[in-house]
Amino acid sequence: MYKPLLILTASLALSLPALSQAGAKEDFNEVYSKVESTHNQAGTYQWTTTANQLKAAKEAADSGDYEKALEMAEQALKYAEQSLEQRKQQQEKWPAVAIGN
Amino acid sequence: MRIAKVILVAVGATLTAPLALAGDTPEEDRKETVEYFQQKFPDVPLEEFVNGQYALDEDRRKQWESMSDFPPFEFAVAEGQEMFETPFANGKTYASCFENDGIGVRQNYPYFDTEKKEVITLELAINRCREANGEEPLKWKKGPIASISAYMASTSAGKKFDIEVPNDDALAAYQAGKEFYYTRRGQLNFSCASCHVQNPGNWIRADLLSPMLGQVANFPVHRAKWGEMGTLHRRFTGCNRNVRAVPLEAQGEEYRNLEYFMTYLNNGLPVVGPATRP
Repeated sequence: MYKPLLILTASLALSLPALSQAGAKEDFNEVYSKVESTHNQAGTYQWTTTANQLKAAKEAADSGDYEKALEMAEQALKYAEQSLEQRKQQQEKWPAVAIGN
Repeated sequence: MRIAKVILVAVGATLTAPLALAGDTPEEDRKETVEYFQQKFPDVPLEEFVNGQYALDEDRRKQWESMSDFPPFEFAVAEGQEMFETPFANGKTYASCFENDGIGVRQNYPYFDTEKKEVITLELAINRCREANGEEPLKWKKGPIASISAYMASTSAGKKFDIEVPNDDALAAYQAGKEFYYTRRGQLNFSCASCHVQNPGNWIRADLLSPMLGQVANFPVHRAKWGEMGTLHRRFTGCNRNVRAVPLEAQGEEYRNLEYFMTYLNNGLPVVGPATRP
């Protein structure tokens, strides 16, 4: 009597990690794309830290570990945003510290 | 009333004039840079700044002088001379591409090409010469190009840098180089100036920081760290990487403009390349 219910429960339980990974993959792809865009906007102010973190995130994703990849991509996004902010700030601030200005 | 107006105009002009004039021209930048470093290091003769850290630290200077009997760049100079004099497949040599056959011209590089509207460095001129004569270009940072550049620099030993900024396009390139020098980059948030204007003579880990004035006069260099010769743009790449900034392309527009700005500040100082550095 309980057998079909047991099978259904077991099936759901086994599919949870896969569902979770699918969600992480989508989240990773979204964040990864955002990092690439922000990193590019930094132009000549790009950080090696961002590039390295992004590469490591991609490797984790390629190996199927999307949760780790997402975590790394989110860190890369923070670096990329900081480099972009550095670009904006420095383009305004540099004349104040230059000899001759 | 009229007198008050005149006074107001005079005061206004007095207040705005320094802002308008300061750093208006590369020559004013150069003079202020010289003044800054002479005030910072009053015991260092002006022409000594081209020797970088060896002008600032007695111990380092003694080590450097002891190497001068058998400088490690001598082999590169000899190799460079041989390559410089060896004809291309079409029978021409590098001499055909340069003023005065390429001898004693280092002090005029980089220059601004007013037709192409770009900065031409010595290494760029070397590779363009090769391409114009049907040869493959050399890699930018080390190896044969550093040797040829070293030989050409050696023929200018002691000649004074004479870099010109001939028009507004050249001025824009100079200003772009200046902006690069003073803007902080990388995760460590350092500019070139953080080390070489604000902290020359101080140590950063095991490195003694050289002054901005006189920088680049000694290139190409043989660095103990590299164990070989390298070009200025190789050094730029390393500096950017040290502060965790993604290095730009060697001989790309940004680094050429940077070289143009830095070399202009050396006007009146002697060519001392090739040289050796730790």
